[in-house]
Amino acid sequence: MIDFARVQKELQECSREKDSSGIRVSPKSDNLARLTGIIPGPLGTPYEGGSFEIDITLPVIGFYFADGYPFEPPKMKFVTKVWHPNISSQSGAICLDILKDQWSPALTLKTALLSVQALLSAPEPDDPQDAVVAQQYLREYQTFVGTARYWTESFAKASSLGVEEKVQRLVEMGFPDGLVRSTLEAVGGDENLALEKLLSS
Amino acid sequence: MEKEEKINVNIDETLTETENEEHVEDEKERLDANLPPEEFPNEFQCCVCLELLYKPVVLACGHMSCFWCVYNAMNHVYQSNCPICRCPFNHFPSVCQLLHFLLLKLYPIAYKRRERQVQEEENEAGRFSLQFDKNLVEPMPCENSDIFGNNQNQPHLEMDIHSESCSKDQESSSSRDSLKMTMQDENGIANKPTTSSKDPEVSRNEPNEGKSWIQNEFEHKDQKVSIADLLCAACKRLLLRPVVLNCGHVYCESCFLIPKDENLRCQVCKSLQPNGFPSVCLILEQFLEEHFPEEYTERQRTLLKEHSCSIQAQRDAKRSAASMSMDFYSSWFLGNGPKVHIGVGCDYCGMTPIIGERYRCKDCVEKIGFDLCESCYKAPAKIPGRFNQQHKPEHQLEIEQPLSLSEFISRLTSEQSDDDISDAPGHTDDASHMPMLSASVQQDEGDGSQDPEDVSPSLILSVDVSLDQEDDSDDPNDNISSDTINQGFNPVNSCNYS
Repeated sequence: MIDFARVQKELQECSREKDSSGIRVSPKSDNLARLTGIIPGPLGTPYEGGSFEIDITLPVIGFYFADGYPFEPPKMKFVTKVWHPNISSQSGAICLDILKDQWSPALTLKTALLSVQALLSAPEPDDPQDAVVAQQYLREYQTFVGTARYWTESFAKASSLGVEEKVQRLVEMGFPDGLVRSTLEAVGGDENLALEKLLSS
Repeated sequence: MEKEEKINVNIDETLTETENEEHVEDEKERLDANLPPEEFPNEFQCCVCLELLYKPVVLACGHMSCFWCVYNAMNHVYQSNCPICRCPFNHFPSVCQLLHFLLLKLYPIAYKRRERQVQEEENEAGRFSLQFDKNLVEPMPCENSDIFGNNQNQPHLEMDIHSESCSKDQESSSSRDSLKMTMQDENGIANKPTTSSKDPEVSRNEPNEGKSWIQNEFEHKDQKVSIADLLCAACKRLLLRPVVLNCGHVYCESCFLIPKDENLRCQVCKSLQPNGFPSVCLILEQFLEEHFPEEYTERQRTLLKEHSCSIQAQRDAKRSAASMSMDFYSSWFLGNGPKVHIGVGCDYCGMTPIIGERYRCKDCVEKIGFDLCESCYKAPAKIPGRFNQQHKPEHQLEIEQPLSLSEFISRLTSEQSDDDISDAPGHTDDASHMPMLSASVQQDEGDGSQDPEDVSPSLILSVDVSLDQEDDSDDPNDNISSDTINQGFNPVNSCNYS
């Protein structure tokens, strides 16, 4: 069982502090088990200026005697493509101990996302998720920085910010946030098509 | 625990006081009206549920959480870790009654709301926690006894007390009155001193507060927290650097005498303190410093005169972290070590999982079962089971063999829910856990691309892997599927590469 009361509390706290932390968490639909997190790329890294979207799924059930979230770690993966030794460039899977066995129920979605943000600024090439990136990081560091910056420019800036603006505009028209996101996703990001669909539904 | 902003407790107290003056009926309406909850400072927020601590349990590292939050966060297979500092432990401590009643006094509305909430959850889950004062939730007495009557075949001792105190309630709504009854009638601990700050014996020993306090307590149900609520179980003075033992009793750090044989025992309930001397509960200490600054400084000054620094040094040396050595598992698997009862906890000392012989009660009807470890079986304590089991001295206990590895695995993989409760491991309720479990195995298949039938061999593999975790932890070529399952089984294992 997911402790939804706690998820609600966490979301409230996140929205209170979003200006200071830059981290945003919003539910994908009315069901709080699926959420979207957005973290800003840390300053002074090739990810600076980027805005990275992370898909969050809260586990409903745990392993033997364990309950779901917060007793099990949230499942997180990057939706925005990112070039990083500990993040799969293909699937967005994150290699971070606190999202696996080092999870503690005292951690929250916000602290987990902060940890992911910290991972962006401190890669661990010796413990890689994406071997290709890790090799490049170790052997040709400058090329790595270049590629990571290029990926940030092409994937983490225009697209994700654009989506957020579109979402905001549509939400301001009075549509629920979760519905707007799913509709936008369904029509491939076209704001006008999404609006048409929202009005007709 | 995060302490970002501290709401002034004094504000809460004034709030509390004005609210207390209102009649019980008004309170009932308030609860039903779903008004915003009573404010409480961040230090009394449970780190797991992010709510006001309810039935607080203090771990050996001094961090606290709600009873059920600790239970749910525990690893019932291997050793557990504190959610905050990851300090390892394998004894589930008893609820700290001093803190329980302190919080009730400080934030009665919010605490009663939590009481009601948790009771609903307990009724839903069919597992219960120890009751200290049945009168906490006044709005729903009838409903309460109904639920107990229906769920349990055996009439509850508390239930009788409850209805009794309910009728008393109409004459004088003194929670203290009923508390005393509960404490004494229940489980026959009347002759034993308790640390409960509301115990008249404790307050009588307090020189300054004395009898007037008792009288006040009878007149006003709730009032401001006084020193009498925060007394050491040994010296009966204001707590100084409070430590909470596994049994839930609170002492000054300096009051605890370390006997020569190195077995620490609670002076009140005589229960053994596992894993050495606990750390100071810093949140409670901070509360003491804030609310009784003069008295606390005075206590510090007198202590300096009484004790020399050498005692302190000796104590620090005695402090040891709990650890369940991996050897227990390896030797058990090899068949030459003590048994490990996966998922079963001792109801007296809280050891989870039980290592050594397990004694299961044949007469306790509760779904959660009643089990004792070997040392608690030999020296039975007079305390009730921590899940409110109505265990009685005349009940028969029998030795129960642990699940063998193959049984454990078949349990994990079996699709059907196990209806045979007598077969269920102690603190768990099979009916709800087993189907969930098989589903979890299936869910993990996504990354592991496995058939359910293949789970067992890989589980064996993961068990093996967990035995030599040093090699395993840094190996990037590790098998994904075994790791996925391993994740839940072995908490020490590091990063996995799914």
